[in-house]
Amino acid sequence: MRTNIAQVLAINQRNLRYVYTYNPRRHFPVADDKSLTKALLARHGISVPETYAVYQWFYQLARLPGDLDGIDEFVIKPAGGRGGGGIQVVTRLDSGRFQSGGEILGWGELRQHLADILFGVYSSGYTDRAIIEERLHPHHRLKKLSPFGLPDIRILLWREQPALAMLRIPTRRSRGKANLHQGAIGVGIGLAHGITTHAIAGTQRIVDHPDTGERLIPFTIPCWQETVSLAVAAARQVHLKYLGVDISITDTGPRILELNARPGLQIQLANQTGLRSILAQLEAESPADDEL
Amino acid sequence: MARRNRQIAYTIILIVLLFTPLGLSWYKLFLLDYSFADLIPAVGYRVDLSMQIDGHGSDITLATYLPKTDYRQVVSEEENAAPGFTFSLENQHLNRRATWQAENVTGHRTLRYSYTIRAKHVQYRLPEILPLPSSYPENLSRYLREEEGIQVNDPLIDATLARILGNDRSNMTQILRAIHRYLQDEFANKKFSGFTDALTALKLKEGSCNGKSRLFIALLRRLGIPSRLVGGLILTPGSKRTSHQWIEAYINDQWVPFDTINDHFAELPAHYITLYYGDLSLFRHTTNINFQYQFKILKKLLPKREILAQLDRADYNILDMYGIFEKIGISHNLLKIILMIPFGALVVVFFRNVVGVETFGTFLPALIAAASRETGLLWGLVGFVLVIVTVALLRRLLDWLQLLHSPKMAILLTVVVLIMLSITAISVSYGNIDLAHMTLFPIAILAITAERFAIVATEQGTCKALTITATTAVVIAACYTVMDSLFLQSAVLAFPEILLVLIGLNLWFGKWIGIRLVELIRFRHLIFKDMRP
Repeated sequence: MRTNIAQVLAINQRNLRYVYTYNPRRHFPVADDKSLTKALLARHGISVPETYAVYQWFYQLARLPGDLDGIDEFVIKPAGGRGGGGIQVVTRLDSGRFQSGGEILGWGELRQHLADILFGVYSSGYTDRAIIEERLHPHHRLKKLSPFGLPDIRILLWREQPALAMLRIPTRRSRGKANLHQGAIGVGIGLAHGITTHAIAGTQRIVDHPDTGERLIPFTIPCWQETVSLAVAAARQVHLKYLGVDISITDTGPRILELNARPGLQIQLANQTGLRSILAQLEAESPADDEL
Repeated sequence: MARRNRQIAYTIILIVLLFTPLGLSWYKLFLLDYSFADLIPAVGYRVDLSMQIDGHGSDITLATYLPKTDYRQVVSEEENAAPGFTFSLENQHLNRRATWQAENVTGHRTLRYSYTIRAKHVQYRLPEILPLPSSYPENLSRYLREEEGIQVNDPLIDATLARILGNDRSNMTQILRAIHRYLQDEFANKKFSGFTDALTALKLKEGSCNGKSRLFIALLRRLGIPSRLVGGLILTPGSKRTSHQWIEAYINDQWVPFDTINDHFAELPAHYITLYYGDLSLFRHTTNINFQYQFKILKKLLPKREILAQLDRADYNILDMYGIFEKIGISHNLLKIILMIPFGALVVVFFRNVVGVETFGTFLPALIAAASRETGLLWGLVGFVLVIVTVALLRRLLDWLQLLHSPKMAILLTVVVLIMLSITAISVSYGNIDLAHMTLFPIAILAITAERFAIVATEQGTCKALTITATTAVVIAACYTVMDSLFLQSAVLAFPEILLVLIGLNLWFGKWIGIRLVELIRFRHLIFKDMRP
């Protein structure tokens, strides 16, 4: 059993050896605050969803109708939100009515949600910024796999080298969120060719989407090489060297959704491989300096 | 290079933290002569006497005997809870009498008196040959007389003595043994709470505790051995409605106990306590009041008070904490809570980093466990769950009303406080004092708990929030168990340097990168993959 445990990277070790060592705390904000992430990446020409508005203060909410003039669909996101909490995908019905998640909303409800974000409901009680950004539509080939919400690709990089990757597909149970802990499906992707290898829902290994029956493996991810390059480019721009990059692949190519300074360990289950051997191999190929 | 320095520093700090306390403790134990055994808490009992009466408009008086601290028992933490009744305590020569009085009593009333008591096991070794003294001091003469119910001079007593002892009446030890065995073996024990005099017990050859005791005394007094009845209680955890009686005989200038119901010869076990001496009734009360009583007995571990006092005076109590805290009026109790919180924190660390459970707030479980000290673990958890449930239900309503975040949290907290107050009021009127102590829950803890739950519920769903509630409850229970340990409390009071060891342990956990138990389960398919055939 000893050799088997050696494959899996567990959280104590991830924290002590990787996150604490390669992700200095003072650089967390650039990953935790999506508005900072987008600003940094956009500055370096790395594709991100277009930003329509960013709100930091309560009084700014008064100009909401003006900011959304001419925009018929958008996404409201807490800048500091984790796990997809607080994300609202909104479509406009007419000048004063919107639809989101099957409910009809007015300006009041939209402002309420933005106010909640500002007051820190989705960021553990700390005040936060609210972002309104472009609504992305998944690549037409990915649409079939994921009818319940926007799927994304998570690539884990260590010292700017890709280590593991997975496709996260929302389900009915996850209520449209591509978050594995809330019920989304994780599908491991072979780094070399972008072909899916294994899939898990919770701790169960699956082959088909539990809600639609659509076959998940094997499947070739569109724009794969472009996606990986984009992830590496992003990793080069931040001082966090144990990094999770979340990418959405659209018909016009990949876009970076967010960065994660504490990438989860579920990616190992999606790939049915432990990280320790992979990281050890990357280490062997280019040994790390003794100090950072 | 810096990494190597860090490693060396870490190792040095760890060694210092683990060995300095050992050195200090060794110093205290061997050079200052602390006795470790004395530090271990002793088994004691919490006795709760409740008396119920029905008044019909007249004046009522109740009296009973309360235990006294003597050579083998220590009474402490006495509490009287008899609203409406005037309470008075009378210290008689041998006994301590409590009286409750009230005028114009109508309706059902409950009176309660509780105390903590610890008793020692005593065993007397009688010499094989012990001659009967020819005379006794004058003040013992009343222990030789005939009394109502103890018919010393009845011919039947003589006849019985002749049968048991024959002619040889020179050896007191032998006499006592013979009579004790006679009563223990040839008289069937009988649970009878009425008055049985010596002769009736003899004639029926069956004995309740008071019947056999009176007979024993009759026989002894006839032989000229001073003896007296003792009334007391056998402390078995639970409820009981009977007291117990045994005797003491005056041997070699000492009163030696004998019980012929449970066969204790010249011995009194640690779970026997003495309530009074003499042929008296445990309770006296006004007639026609439907008097009922019940003893509720709880086993407890109690620190040996003599040691606490000794520590107070010790010179090398490293921090001289007692002096400091006494000066600003902080009780031993509060000091103990403060000293135990690091243990609670260590328990939380273990559950988070080794077992892998999630909790609300890093050290909230330890704080809630500390707050549960007044209420006990059960009601502490009830209070915790109550806060959670209130928040969970109320949150939906408040979300629907669409309020800003901070005022919403304030409303939740205020409602929780209102509910706690209501519960206290209700539980006092039902006589459940334990539950009423829930209002002592520090507001800060309630506030933190309420907000954490609300945020997790909003961010990750109510289901997840309830799961974390359950795991937090488990950790609270674990913290409480450790923090409530009388042994650890006594140890840390005597050896506060133990806290340095705790720091050392946390240092060690700080570098522990083993796989958590929860992860072992979560990644089990990966970990045990190659083991399947």
